[in-house]
Amino acid sequence: MHVWALAAGLLAAVPAARGADDDLFETTIRPLLLSRCQGCHASGSGAKTSGGLALDTRSGWQHGGDSGPAILPGDAERSLLVRAVRREEGVSAMPPDEAGGALAPHEVAALEAWVRAGAADPRDAAPMLGGMDRAAAEAWWSFQPPRAAAPPAVRDESLVADDIDRFVVAALEARGLRPAPLADRATLLRRATIDLTGLPPTPDELRAFLADTSPDAWERAVERLLASSAYGERFGRHWLDVARYADTAGDGADYPVREAALYRDWVIRAINADMPYDEFLRRQIAGDILAADAPPADRADLVTATGFLAVGKRYGYAPNPDYQHLDFADAIDSLGRSVLGLSLGCARCHDHKYDPVSAADYYALYGILQSTTWAFPGGEEHKRPAHFPALVPREEAARLDAEKASELARLDAARARARLEKLALEGKAFAGGVDLDLERREIGTGPADPEQKPWLSAGPNVVVPEAQSPFRHLHTAGTRGVRIGSGQPHEGVRHTFAERLVAAEGAPIRVAFDFRTVPTEGAEQPAGACRFYVGRGVIESTAIDFSATLGEFAVRDGDGWRVVTALEPGRWHHVEVTLDRAARRARGSITPFPAAGAAPVPIPLGEVVLPAAWDGAVDTIICDGLGHVAGPATVRDLDNLARGFDAFPPPGSADATVPAPPADAAERIAAIDEALVALDARRAQTAEAPAYPVAYGVSEGTPGDARVQLRGEPDKPGATVPRRNLEILGGDVLADPAAGSGRRELAAWLTRPDNPLTARVIVNRVWQWHFGRGLVATPSDFGTRGEAPSHPELLDWLAVRFLEGGSSLKDLHRRILRSRTWRQSADGDPAAVAADPDNRLLARHARRPLDAETLRDAILATSGLLDRSPAPPHPFPPVETWAFTIHQPFHAVYDSDRRSVYLMLQRTRRHPFLALFDAADPNQSVAARDATITPTQSLFLMNAPLVHRAGAALAARILAAADTRAGRIGAGTLLAWGRVADADEAAGLEAFLEACAAADPGAPQRDAWEALARVLLTSNPFLFVD
Amino acid sequence: MPDSPSAAVPLARRAWLDRAGRGLAATALLGLLADDAPADVADPLAPRAGHFPASADRVIFLYATGGVSHVDTFDWKPALVADHGKTITASRWLNKPGAFERHLIKPRWAFRQHGQSGAWVSDLFPCLGAMVDDLCILNAMHCDSDGHDKGTLAAHCGSAQFARPSHGAWISYGLGTENRNLPSFVVVAPAAPYAGAQTWGSDFLPGCHQGTLVTPGAEPLPNLVPRAARPGRQRMELDLLARVNAAHLGRRGGDAALAARMRSFETAFGMQREAPEVFDLSGETDETLRLYGLERGATQGFGWQCLVARRLAERGVRFIELVDVGSSGNWDSHGTMADHERLAAAVDRPIAGLLADLKRRGMLERTLVVWTTEFGRTPFHQTADHPGREHHNLVFSSWMAGGGVRGGIVHGRSDDHGILPAEGAVHTHDLHATMLAALGLDHERLTFRHAGRDYRLTDVAGTIVRPILRSPPV
Repeated sequence: MHVWALAAGLLAAVPAARGADDDLFETTIRPLLLSRCQGCHASGSGAKTSGGLALDTRSGWQHGGDSGPAILPGDAERSLLVRAVRREEGVSAMPPDEAGGALAPHEVAALEAWVRAGAADPRDAAPMLGGMDRAAAEAWWSFQPPRAAAPPAVRDESLVADDIDRFVVAALEARGLRPAPLADRATLLRRATIDLTGLPPTPDELRAFLADTSPDAWERAVERLLASSAYGERFGRHWLDVARYADTAGDGADYPVREAALYRDWVIRAINADMPYDEFLRRQIAGDILAADAPPADRADLVTATGFLAVGKRYGYAPNPDYQHLDFADAIDSLGRSVLGLSLGCARCHDHKYDPVSAADYYALYGILQSTTWAFPGGEEHKRPAHFPALVPREEAARLDAEKASELARLDAARARARLEKLALEGKAFAGGVDLDLERREIGTGPADPEQKPWLSAGPNVVVPEAQSPFRHLHTAGTRGVRIGSGQPHEGVRHTFAERLVAAEGAPIRVAFDFRTVPTEGAEQPAGACRFYVGRGVIESTAIDFSATLGEFAVRDGDGWRVVTALEPGRWHHVEVTLDRAARRARGSITPFPAAGAAPVPIPLGEVVLPAAWDGAVDTIICDGLGHVAGPATVRDLDNLARGFDAFPPPGSADATVPAPPADAAERIAAIDEALVALDARRAQTAEAPAYPVAYGVSEGTPGDARVQLRGEPDKPGATVPRRNLEILGGDVLADPAAGSGRRELAAWLTRPDNPLTARVIVNRVWQWHFGRGLVATPSDFGTRGEAPSHPELLDWLAVRFLEGGSSLKDLHRRILRSRTWRQSADGDPAAVAADPDNRLLARHARRPLDAETLRDAILATSGLLDRSPAPPHPFPPVETWAFTIHQPFHAVYDSDRRSVYLMLQRTRRHPFLALFDAADPNQSVAARDATITPTQSLFLMNAPLVHRAGAALAARILAAADTRAGRIGAGTLLAWGRVADADEAAGLEAFLEACAAADPGAPQRDAWEALARVLLTSNPFLFVD
Repeated sequence: MPDSPSAAVPLARRAWLDRAGRGLAATALLGLLADDAPADVADPLAPRAGHFPASADRVIFLYATGGVSHVDTFDWKPALVADHGKTITASRWLNKPGAFERHLIKPRWAFRQHGQSGAWVSDLFPCLGAMVDDLCILNAMHCDSDGHDKGTLAAHCGSAQFARPSHGAWISYGLGTENRNLPSFVVVAPAAPYAGAQTWGSDFLPGCHQGTLVTPGAEPLPNLVPRAARPGRQRMELDLLARVNAAHLGRRGGDAALAARMRSFETAFGMQREAPEVFDLSGETDETLRLYGLERGATQGFGWQCLVARRLAERGVRFIELVDVGSSGNWDSHGTMADHERLAAAVDRPIAGLLADLKRRGMLERTLVVWTTEFGRTPFHQTADHPGREHHNLVFSSWMAGGGVRGGIVHGRSDDHGILPAEGAVHTHDLHATMLAALGLDHERLTFRHAGRDYRLTDVAGTIVRPILRSPPV
């Protein structure tokens, strides 16, 4: 059959029978793609696939290249592939000349027919989900719902204290191995106390526990530890590792974030309160949204919880979207790793290479974050915090904002009045100053001085005698004005007043100026209008606009221009207007300069509606070319700008004179100066003081979907992706995409019980925090590149029990600490150690070094230096002084004797102690501390002031604890090691004391004890937990 | 570990070493008595061979902060002089792409040819010019960002955007170090560069590979000065500590982490003795001090940094970085290029002195010296008489010397006005790949598994600049 005929037949037969489609594909399309397209557009060829488009698989064209899907089955007209081979406008012509040039017409027709018929393509029937085929992804262990199998039977029931032990012991027994014996009770209490609270047990706690022979002594000890506030500090710190917590922003200037600590404290409180884990997550992702339906008293906590999102590393210099894609990269990656154990960040530039996460998944979440307003901590360009969500309800915030604004306005008005009064006393203030400095400008130059203050001039503007207004009722007779010769829309002159006037209730602002339009000699007259802008800043807040062509004068009234009167070219006019902010109305007049002997006749402007957005301030007058008639603006003269609170005398009044200063002017000026200092200070204080407490968190923004960023580059937008759940977790879409950002739904998707990852991930983390290693050794990677669980049934069983029990972390701790597995000795059965050196089978407890925070806390606690009073805010410099840049970044180390969780954590310059001892690097979510043992750490232990100060304090405690040398050695080792030294150890310590005394016979006794105390605090029995 | 940086250490064992280095030794190595363990087992810093024969044993990395103008230093552009004041259309200005009419601005300083090779160097660097036959000048460097912090991170960590381990940490991880009385990676900086400690951080690599900051002045390294009030007391304390720890270890049937901590105190004691020696320049001759432009008794200045670098190199430190200035008051000459004069004068003699001193001691052969900066500066500006220059990352200059790099050559060329690479372009990733190659490390095989991915210093890019290596890897 001829191809043309075949194509025609198919067109008639749509939808075609499957067999016919396959025939067309096999006979024509496959060879065509192979010979003419796949030379460049093939996946897996090793070379870069051209334009990102692969045509050798169905998913290749379904997914498409940089321009989106190549084929829309059934729609040839809109399919890029068809348009490209047709060589249509706006698409790259394919195949290109160097690849043989255009297809033959019958080949194009065959492709069209195939696409119209539905583009049946039998190649790679297995659909892909990110880096895995869908079936494999759905079969992957961590995407299966956890199933609680019955705990297995064990041969030796004496090894079972909790069902946990059955899973562990069964695995050991299957290999013929035995677990370690139980650890002794002193070891257990030290282990449990450090494990649960991050502090060593006190001698009293040890003695009480060792003396308690009741059957539930252990359970009660665990309950006591779980109930102590130190528990939240310890496990809160674990979560803060995952949450990449720091007290600074992390961009080059590393701005301090005063409110970050509120989130830290919220985490500690939530952990102490045993908030169910699903609730703990929901609040951190959508607390601000949940607050809408919560009692007002809960609002502060709920909003503060969203610090989890905000507290990541920031990249921007100002609160704008320039670097937001990097902030979001951190947030998405951290969210994925911390909650789901998935490296979502890998899907930023392309589909995940190994896990079932597509770039579309990434940008679906991106849309949710983009629909959210993020607190901006301050940065290189914008050196102040912005968009911090309020901890009070919206209406309350609005009321407090308004209150603050009105107080500021009141202070501004008072300051302006005082300054005007001062200018009046100095003889400079009549109607806003003697011609506003124009008189000081040199004839023949522009009005701007070298510092461009207060005038700014662009275009051919020149100070000339002809531009002196003849009106004299506001300004004394002058000698010059400014001629504005530029007709360009954005050129003209600008005058900025030194004092900003702010209209208040009953105190409208008056503005006046004189102008005339100037006919151009000989040339064609410019037809356009100039504009006179009055308002705050450079068009930041418009109060009123006037406009003039050569022969017509207009005012902006409400939404449009209104012509007020005709103008006689060349005649001077005086404009005066009263701006009433409260009424949003202006009244005024324009008065032509009268002929000799005639009285001036004001022409009323009529009532003018002022812009609703005007904030009541006036400090700038601009004359540019943006008037009511387009085109080059008329040449005009401008003079006699005036501004004040008091009514101006009308034209025709007596000539203005500069009044002589009163006799007591000097004293009154001094008094005003004094008052101004106080007012200025008050204003600065009011401006800086927050109107209400805020959090470093997020709030709802403008809902909208994001576009894929091709290769992760924001300036290469691809297809729009609806905000939705990850496909592998259900792909749920938003019920009402316009209703909000989608964070409420995201929080629900992450925490619903059938999410196979969330419970497993947290249960595994808690396991790791107790055992030093998770059942999954890669606690933030449950994907295909992570490690498989050592005890998959145990992990699932724990996850199911956790969900059934209400997601209580404390219940999980109770269960784990009850288990014999946790309570066994760190020294295992030699056969088990030899068979399983990595201890994956848990035949012994893991001996671990104290982590950075615990080491410092233990040194402080053991020596009695630890300060348990509540941590005050960090002593950051006052926000009004913040001027940090990448050249002069923020840097501080704040010392205290409080627990290390409360230390100020800087992102770009790490705390020296915490960095030295491998604390979490807050630049990204940290799954596990990778402790190292280095000589620089030992140098710290030998020579750091902290260790010497603690040694002295510990020596004092030891000396006070007992009267005998033996008693003191017992007290010291009990404090530092959690046990009394045995006879051999005691003999060694006593010998040391004697040697010290012999070496320095004159030294005080305390001296040797301090040396001994330092040894206790830096010895392995102190530095490690058995 | 999918691959081993050390041909001498089998794969399984290497994985085991990594765990040991990351503190899991406590579990991983239980059952091995410390004394029975090979010396390197619990020691992630033990020296190791690379992937192929190395031409360099160590690196001295000189980092000029702020962005040094290439057309005023090493990239001689006669056309820029001839076309001074003419307009061109620039494709980038102040970090924004577009089309910008700009005026070409000639260099402020004269250039002249130096040495046998006749390479051009401006009069900003007369002393360094005299050493030009030892330099390999790279005149077509380019990088991904023209922001200071991002450019600095790219030059140090390979990524302009995300937190990654620094080059020194990667090299320490790959090769270990020869002298355990000193850190493997030392940064001598009067003030931190842009991006702060991230530039010497270890990020996800074991923390022992992070750089140790030495600050010129009274106490260059923290915690180095013994505080015990009485002579001999510290030794007594360490002896008691060793006894207590030995008894503790003995009752626990051996634990490599416990043993490693014990050893680390002895090493620290050694450091306490040896490190101050490094910073004590009193034994250096007047002639040597002069070579570095250093006054006797001085404890800061770039001459001090350079001489300390030589002393650290002599003692087997693997990677030494010298930060020239820091994040403020540096080469960032927006306002006026006249600043370059003062900045060059502060480093020209010290750097030339360092090269000469290394050479006469026979150390330059095995020491790779690299000089670079975050980017160059625009050969053009808004007006022809503008005294400053802006950031320019599209092309700039760096140089390398020693360590198997061919001296007396200029590699890469920018276009006639020094705006874009014309040939021999070298990206930051390529520079890193080449540094690693000189040390015998294959940048594609020096990897670390983190969060499900194998990371490299060079990300997924980087090409070794073979023509500049005397014996490039096969």
